[in-house]
Amino acid sequence: MNDREKEAPVKLELSGLRKSFGGKRKPLPVIGGVSLQVRKGEFVSLIGPSGSGKSTLFHLIGGLLKPDSGEIRLDGRVINGERGHIGYMPQQPALFPWRTIEDNVVLDREVNGAPRRESLEEARRWMERAGLAGFEKAYPHTLSGGMQQRAAFVRSLLSPHELMCLDEPFSALDAFTRSEMQAWLLDIWEETRRSVLFVTHHIEEALLLSDTIYVLSGRPSEAMRRIEVPFPRPRREEITETPEFLSLRRELTNLMKEEQRKSTGMPSARQN
Amino acid sequence: MTRSTLNQWFRSAWPPFVAVLLFLTAWEAAVRFFGIEAWILPSPSVIAQEASSSASSLWMHTLSTLQLTLIGFAIGSTFGLLVACALHLVPLLKSALYPLLILSQNVPTIALAPLLMIWFGFGLLPKIIVITLVCFFPVAVSTMDGFAQTDRTMLNYMRMIGAKRTQIFRKLEFPHALPSMFSGLRIAATYSVMGAVIAEWIGAQKGIGYYMILQKSAFRTDRIFAAIIIIVVLSLLLFLLVTLIERLVVRGGRRGASSEGGESR
Repeated sequence: MNDREKEAPVKLELSGLRKSFGGKRKPLPVIGGVSLQVRKGEFVSLIGPSGSGKSTLFHLIGGLLKPDSGEIRLDGRVINGERGHIGYMPQQPALFPWRTIEDNVVLDREVNGAPRRESLEEARRWMERAGLAGFEKAYPHTLSGGMQQRAAFVRSLLSPHELMCLDEPFSALDAFTRSEMQAWLLDIWEETRRSVLFVTHHIEEALLLSDTIYVLSGRPSEAMRRIEVPFPRPRREEITETPEFLSLRRELTNLMKEEQRKSTGMPSARQN
Repeated sequence: MTRSTLNQWFRSAWPPFVAVLLFLTAWEAAVRFFGIEAWILPSPSVIAQEASSSASSLWMHTLSTLQLTLIGFAIGSTFGLLVACALHLVPLLKSALYPLLILSQNVPTIALAPLLMIWFGFGLLPKIIVITLVCFFPVAVSTMDGFAQTDRTMLNYMRMIGAKRTQIFRKLEFPHALPSMFSGLRIAATYSVMGAVIAEWIGAQKGIGYYMILQKSAFRTDRIFAAIIIIVVLSLLLFLLVTLIERLVVRGGRRGASSEGGESR
């Protein structure tokens, strides 16, 4: 991370966030005090064992759920339980099958009341960068999984909200497509420098893409470790072979293994 | 493309076509061979002859029935659609009325027809009410099913980006429910023809149902058969009309089946 970014204002701040499910009699704590920061123009990843409440955390940020305690601040303002402040990319592309690709891509802007012509212009520009030129009028079911995922990413990129929340966006793709998508995302992101909160359980992916990584513990999850990723930008995939990268990867892998071991034997994870 | 679909259509169409042809031949042969009297079972050729010689009167009755069917179908389906939307948008209304709606289907609508005649006379109104009652249910239930089956990831996405309730309904739930709405409309289309005919049985001065009652008392079995064929054709035409509209309205490779069939993966 360079100095410019260090001084960038805080975009999103979570402080002491807690959330339990299952009523008062037998509460099941899922988020047990998560605090983290995303600065403006920073790429932040969250990694953690499966069932560490990553999706729940996103639902809290998106305002679908209200935290039991703690604060979610966006640009310094508390937004607990408020919707419509973020761009979002879900695990499945969730493109609407009855909309053409370009109509899908502008959906977020449409919902937020942006003028259609402007949105379409912007959409065409980014679709070209996503290798989707010529597919503007195609329907999603005619596209490959990777292309659908790129369309979903462009949709979140076009969101009028600066902060993008990406929820394990590549987890449903095969390994090859996945690494292609990572390189592509890296490229696009370094060009746009949006504030990103990225959830993944893929350590290498997190190291390749992020400025900062938070490691979540098993349930009830806390942000137990913050790691600044030292590689300079613009990054290329080659950094994955440097000794520095490998040692960071080993460190993270050990951390994750330990957490995973601690959390097995617990009741099955609440996932959605 | 067109050619191959035509070929495909031809390949799937000829076996049932031949089967019908064989059936008709067997029917014709059996009637002739056993010398069955025409008032019990007329042969297909006799029916065809009779149909063509009384074509003008049949046509008049057909038009009358068609008109009644279309009016009833339009009103019943619209009503069903509105009820589905209302129940979906107001959960309390749904939990109060949905069970009653299901229960009400144990009342045979057709059996209500005589009652409706008593209340509303022999005009158009009671007949339209019968068809409306018959059409309403399949449309309402399948549309509500469509709403309820809205894709969870898409719904979640809409909520995450801050879509309002009306936006979620207009942009997601309604278009998502279209295929299952249309499968309800297809059922309603065939039901509506049946509803019209039965309404005409009970009290009318024209229409295919009225014509059937008239011919029954004259033991004109051949004419009754002609009427049945017309009913079948009417049902099919209405069914095709709904399918055609569906093709125009439902986009993105989802027509026909109401399920997603993994194509969004």
